[in-house]
Amino acid sequence: MRVRITNGRIFDPASGMVDLLGNVLIEDGRIVADDPALRADETHDAAGCIVMAGGIDLHSHIAGGKVNLARLLMGEDRRAHPEPFGAFCGCGGGNAAPTTHVTGCRYSQMGYTAVFEPAMVGANARHAHLEMADIPNIDTGGFLVLGNDDFLLRLIAQGESQTAINDYVAWMLSATQTCAIKIVNPGGISAFKFNARSLDLDEAGPHYALTPRRVLQSLQRAVTELGIPHPIHLHGCNLGVPGNVATTLSTIGATEGFPLHLTHVQFHAYGTEGDRRFSSGAAEIAAAVNANPHISVDVGQIMFGQTVTASADLMAQYRNHSIASPNKWVGMDIECDAACGVVPFAYRDTSFVNALQWAIGLELFLLIEDPWRVFLTTDHPNGGPFTSYPHLIRLLMDRDFRAEQLARLHKAARAHTNLVELKREYTLEEIAIVTRAAPARTLGLKDRGHLAPGAIGDVVLYADMADREAMLSWSARREPERGRDPRQLRRSLSHGGHAARHHRRHATLGAHRRRVADGLRHFGDRLWLRGGDRGGNRAGGLARRAAGHIRAHLRHVAEGSEEDRPGAGRPMRADRPHLRLLCRHRRGAARAARPGFALFR
Amino acid sequence: MPPVATSPGATSRIVTELVCGFCGLGCDDLEVQVQGRAVRPRIACPQAAALLERSDGAPPLPRVAGRETSLEEAAARAGSLLAASRSAVFSGLGADVDGLRGVFDLAMRFGASFDHAASSGLFRNLDTLQRRGWIATTLAEVRNRCDLLVVVGADPTPDFARFFERALPAASGDPQESDEAPLFTNRAHPRRVVFLGDLAGPAARAALAGHDVTHSPVPPALLADAMAGLNAFVDGRSVKTLGGAFDGALGAALAELAGALRAARYAVFTWNAGALDPAEGERIVGHAAAMVAKLNETTRAAVFPLGGRDNLIGAHQMALWRFGYPLRTLVAHGEASHAPGLYATSRAVRDADLLLHVSAFRPDAPPAFSSGPLIALAHPHTEFPREPDVFIPVGTPGIDHAGQVFRMDSVVCLPLVKLREAGLASVAQAAAAILQAGRAP
Repeated sequence: MRVRITNGRIFDPASGMVDLLGNVLIEDGRIVADDPALRADETHDAAGCIVMAGGIDLHSHIAGGKVNLARLLMGEDRRAHPEPFGAFCGCGGGNAAPTTHVTGCRYSQMGYTAVFEPAMVGANARHAHLEMADIPNIDTGGFLVLGNDDFLLRLIAQGESQTAINDYVAWMLSATQTCAIKIVNPGGISAFKFNARSLDLDEAGPHYALTPRRVLQSLQRAVTELGIPHPIHLHGCNLGVPGNVATTLSTIGATEGFPLHLTHVQFHAYGTEGDRRFSSGAAEIAAAVNANPHISVDVGQIMFGQTVTASADLMAQYRNHSIASPNKWVGMDIECDAACGVVPFAYRDTSFVNALQWAIGLELFLLIEDPWRVFLTTDHPNGGPFTSYPHLIRLLMDRDFRAEQLARLHKAARAHTNLVELKREYTLEEIAIVTRAAPARTLGLKDRGHLAPGAIGDVVLYADMADREAMLSWSARREPERGRDPRQLRRSLSHGGHAARHHRRHATLGAHRRRVADGLRHFGDRLWLRGGDRGGNRAGGLARRAAGHIRAHLRHVAEGSEEDRPGAGRPMRADRPHLRLLCRHRRGAARAARPGFALFR
Repeated sequence: MPPVATSPGATSRIVTELVCGFCGLGCDDLEVQVQGRAVRPRIACPQAAALLERSDGAPPLPRVAGRETSLEEAAARAGSLLAASRSAVFSGLGADVDGLRGVFDLAMRFGASFDHAASSGLFRNLDTLQRRGWIATTLAEVRNRCDLLVVVGADPTPDFARFFERALPAASGDPQESDEAPLFTNRAHPRRVVFLGDLAGPAARAALAGHDVTHSPVPPALLADAMAGLNAFVDGRSVKTLGGAFDGALGAALAELAGALRAARYAVFTWNAGALDPAEGERIVGHAAAMVAKLNETTRAAVFPLGGRDNLIGAHQMALWRFGYPLRTLVAHGEASHAPGLYATSRAVRDADLLLHVSAFRPDAPPAFSSGPLIALAHPHTEFPREPDVFIPVGTPGIDHAGQVFRMDSVVCLPLVKLREAGLASVAQAAAAILQAGRAP
């Protein structure tokens, strides 16, 4: 089956093709080099369209226990966003905390094809996978939360070797079928369980007497030594605390050259200047990111309106629970593993703090020079629902629009930001980088985020419109064109932007991922039933075996493909094993059966 | 997969480290003997033992109006009954995650309201959780951190036999050396358990031997007031300011308990909401959550609500992620609408023209219903007061097929294994067959 998309304006920065008129040829779900001699079974005229690879969101809370708690608390949001009219598919609704079906539909309607749940708690991994199996249209994956689990903290505190820590990390990744390590407030969530209310980077926490720096460095080494493509995905200390810019700068300094990803860095870029003791630290953070090529960030832009914040950082969420809106919140200590806090929140442009947060996020986007190291997120739903991305993109691309929006803000906030002086406008190429190419690269996804031969046939056609918000938002013409399923392609083209694909039944979905959830290793009682030691021994043995698999695989990769790799000697991230752990969704039987899908099992 | 040992020369085998999906505690150290279709529990609590036990006899066949038939024919009949219904009610919902997917698919296809058989306690809790929220904890945290456990209301042991054994294991001679040793409590910080409400039964007392157990007996009808008093004491009020309401021994005990709560490092309130006085349940839960909120200003504390048999929590979670609402929701007429008063099974059956009852974990009869057809996807041993129009005997997750169920603390989802082959369809298979039949022209 061959599908040719012709005459589109192609934006594919990963392959160096930017704003070139050309064709994309998809053969059996994969992009192949276009050759006029090859006859296409279907041809689609993309004249007047921008053609990009499917979008990749590497930080969006879409599934798992805390998201479900958010749904429970956000009954008003759910009722305000009911099912659309038309043939009923039982899809649910909601905006800040949408149902699984709505999540998949809205993302795909915006042109996204892969989304990563960035905070999968080990104890809750099976639930998260089961839930993601119900998300249609998009691929999903997860990052495992470590750094507050008592098992790891004990390993570090008892002075166990780095090898033992690596084994444990490998076993946990394998057991939970996740593809990267996230640290949330290193040591801080655990400290809160001992009633500590804050924990700074070099402060020894209770019980284990470990500093967050030590926890961070142990896991950074593990991730590097195991060869996990994505660096540590860090939600640092002191989230939301005025003055935390100093902590964030120290954290960058603590990396000792190990790569590090700072997530929702907007929430970690606050100074204490001015009469309100709250100011922008964006310039300092951006300068540090610009000067340190091993650091990447996603912004976690806030958007005005009702949302809900869901985080594993119960220490921070407890600090903020009194400003919940509506006034209710849920906290939970979880399984000697992590915690969660869910606090509904309404960001208001009339609030000094919220308005300045908004400006700080935009300052970060505009001041960080290298678009390959900044990813577009709102930390959905914490800074705002992901459906606000098109609005955010317009803010980045359109200086006049930005100035207009800025003029509506709280007056004092305007005086505290130099946003108006930032003339930069993102180009479409840069948007393609921050929403596709760069996330794919940092996650080690070599067949995504670009349109070169070998890539998956996730191709998105956007009708070229001057209003980029309208062009990209889910209510405009925005269906992702999935080349491997030509029926979808035809339908969305012929419907010309009508939300036809919304109505897809659950019954046809999720068959594949369910198997992943079925296959998850049982670790319900890692600490609970048998206490620490026996569980530890058991985990240790499995961990050693898992790590052995990883090393064997790395050797194989290194020996097998050394010469045809650019920059030999520096392992290419895309060749590392963990991308195989990506949970593929709706790929059909042939792809599901591909060997190496679950490397460690 | 738990280790399976086969005894030599016989088809009998012992399955160890078996996960149990019945009460919601998720114990995973059970042991059974399997021979042919017979399952004999060797290590299990009384409830699990009764529910695991299977004879070698053949299970019943599906029936339509009392006549034995095939699964396909029964499913076809169920599909046509559902297609003809205008206000179907799904009750029971005792199924594993896959089974629930199938049941929700049926609701989406044919339109129905749904509720779980054990949801009354859940909704007493949601009254607080959904409107105001709380700080909760999970089993591992209770086990490893809790230094003061307040058991509110009835002794939970009859429903959750091994809760105390597992959450607060007996201290051993040298706790630091033992596998069982909790991580963060030791002899320097002994654990205290206070029963506020009913007295602990003999089983609970035995399980808690070695802990500092005290009782503050309160009759069920006065429990909410006692909790209000305790809340006031935790809030720093004295007996004097409460207008004489708590002058007696109970008041003194509550005041002392309030002091202990404030001094505890990690106090936990637990209750079985399903066993609380229906008129006062919401108030009791609300007071517990309010006390925990207050205590967390200076120390740590949390609630641990008990409840969640037969994958209640799985049904709750899946309803939330699919429809955006908890159970007691109607999915029909192009939208989902949540009205707990209206769609509770006991209320919903009054307006129903069809009842579909799902109970794979235990042979519980469907609720009384006479105003329309009854479809039962039920345990093969179910005794029906009225012969269902369609009866599809279904296998039990963890015995007849593998599956997944949620533990009561809503975080952990556990895998169940298949023990035997008895030819029973799973709820997922039965629901899929009905869905398929409903699609046929």
